[in-house]
Amino acid sequence: MNRRRFMTLGSASIAGTLLGACDSVGPKRAASLLRYAERRNEQVERWLFRSGSRNRVDAGARLSGRAFPRYFISERIPMWNESERGVWRLEVSGAVQRPLSLSLDDLLKMRSVTQRVDHFCVEGWTARAEWTGVRVSELARAAGATSDAQYVDFQSFDSDYHESWDIDSALHPQTLVAYGMDRAMLGAGHGAPARVHSPVKLGYKNTKYLTRVIFMPGRAGGYWSDRGYEWYGGV
Amino acid sequence: MTSPTGQTLGADAGAGGPALHDGAAHPPARPVSRQHRHHWVIRVTHWLNVVALGLMITSGLRIFNAYPAFARKGESFCCYPFEGTPIPAWLTFGGWLAGARNWHFAAMWLLFANGIVYLSFIYLHGEWRDLVPRRGDPRDMWEMIKFYTFARRDHPHQGKHNALQKATYFSMPIFGALAVLTGLAIWKPVQLAPLTNALGGYVWVRYWHFLVMVVLVLLSVAHVVMVFAVDPYSLRSMITGGYNPAESPEARNARPFFWRRSEPLTLDSDRALDR
Repeated sequence: MNRRRFMTLGSASIAGTLLGACDSVGPKRAASLLRYAERRNEQVERWLFRSGSRNRVDAGARLSGRAFPRYFISERIPMWNESERGVWRLEVSGAVQRPLSLSLDDLLKMRSVTQRVDHFCVEGWTARAEWTGVRVSELARAAGATSDAQYVDFQSFDSDYHESWDIDSALHPQTLVAYGMDRAMLGAGHGAPARVHSPVKLGYKNTKYLTRVIFMPGRAGGYWSDRGYEWYGGV
Repeated sequence: MTSPTGQTLGADAGAGGPALHDGAAHPPARPVSRQHRHHWVIRVTHWLNVVALGLMITSGLRIFNAYPAFARKGESFCCYPFEGTPIPAWLTFGGWLAGARNWHFAAMWLLFANGIVYLSFIYLHGEWRDLVPRRGDPRDMWEMIKFYTFARRDHPHQGKHNALQKATYFSMPIFGALAVLTGLAIWKPVQLAPLTNALGGYVWVRYWHFLVMVVLVLLSVAHVVMVFAVDPYSLRSMITGGYNPAESPEARNARPFFWRRSEPLTLDSDRALDR
């Protein structure tokens, strides 16, 4: 094989490999390398995390309103069926001294926060709304979360949707269990009667149609984190 | 040009080299001036950069396709005429959003570490002097443009790189650094809020990151085209490190797609050179 032939065949095989790689997920063997990179990235993200960090939106900024996307994994909009399941309650349990079972009224009576923040979707878009709710840190205080509480699992009645968080992000002052959106009660398309909302995590970490907040010593994965998306999903 | 008998012909008979050259009987004299042009660190970081940039750009385009627009929900965006139009799938890598994100967030460390090694090396080893802009550069760039457009007959004098190359190779790491900076601001718009806000906020930072990518693609495409159109010998020098000044674009008076092969040009002489 002479040089020219070698160069031609070489270039052709490189080009072929590249074209074959187009739109693919990459070689199987790379999967463990990518998982390794994800774990390292989580360490970097945890190191960057500050509970004093804030997402700020100008008071005069336009809100997304009806353009705020609705999203759920069930086939139809999940609605809490009282005749089947009784009155909706939020369970706060796990590594806590006083497990709570809160009705929506109980939640509304707790100290609330209203904040205008960005919503960062993993897809790349952002949307803005004004959220009203109770800080997760407030729930942790009320339930007496113990030092075993290193993670929190947010579970829902939207099929088997849930996402677990590191405790630092969950206790961030802008992480809410929200029941109000844009000065109205939360709509069915946005996770009624209550959902997690925080600018410190990507949208998919913000469980809607919330039923349980479980403090725990270990992580519990999550709907999208078990399907290839980063578990940490921090912003 | 190899004849059936295995003899090789000089490229341009009568242009200085032997018209007929029997390589086997008379191996050509090894040019005294064959130079070591690229340190191995430069060559390794160059090709690693090809891999890293390739992965970052193609996975980045797949990420972009999850929302091929810049407007915040409920708003419009002034400055991108293709809002909502996805990038063709064959230009993307990662298969789906999560796959592309995992590649993007892994390859970014390769790009970053490789860039640090390259920049530290050219700083410590002195190669930065070949790239740093000098006062005469705009004039030299203009002369190169005149030469390439046949408005000037002879190749302007050049050292390691011509003025257009210098500008390209100098700006490449700058745009690379901007890609890293805007990328960080998209990755952590809350934890690094001061950075994101300084760059105009999340929507604009996403746009800057995209535009920086476009510039990097344009510079890379121009670079590859010019390597093949003007100085294919530089491809060899980026692999082996060696470069023969007799083959330089200046010696060949090479314009894009208009140049003579250097002399003596034979496969045998090539082999002799590689020894």
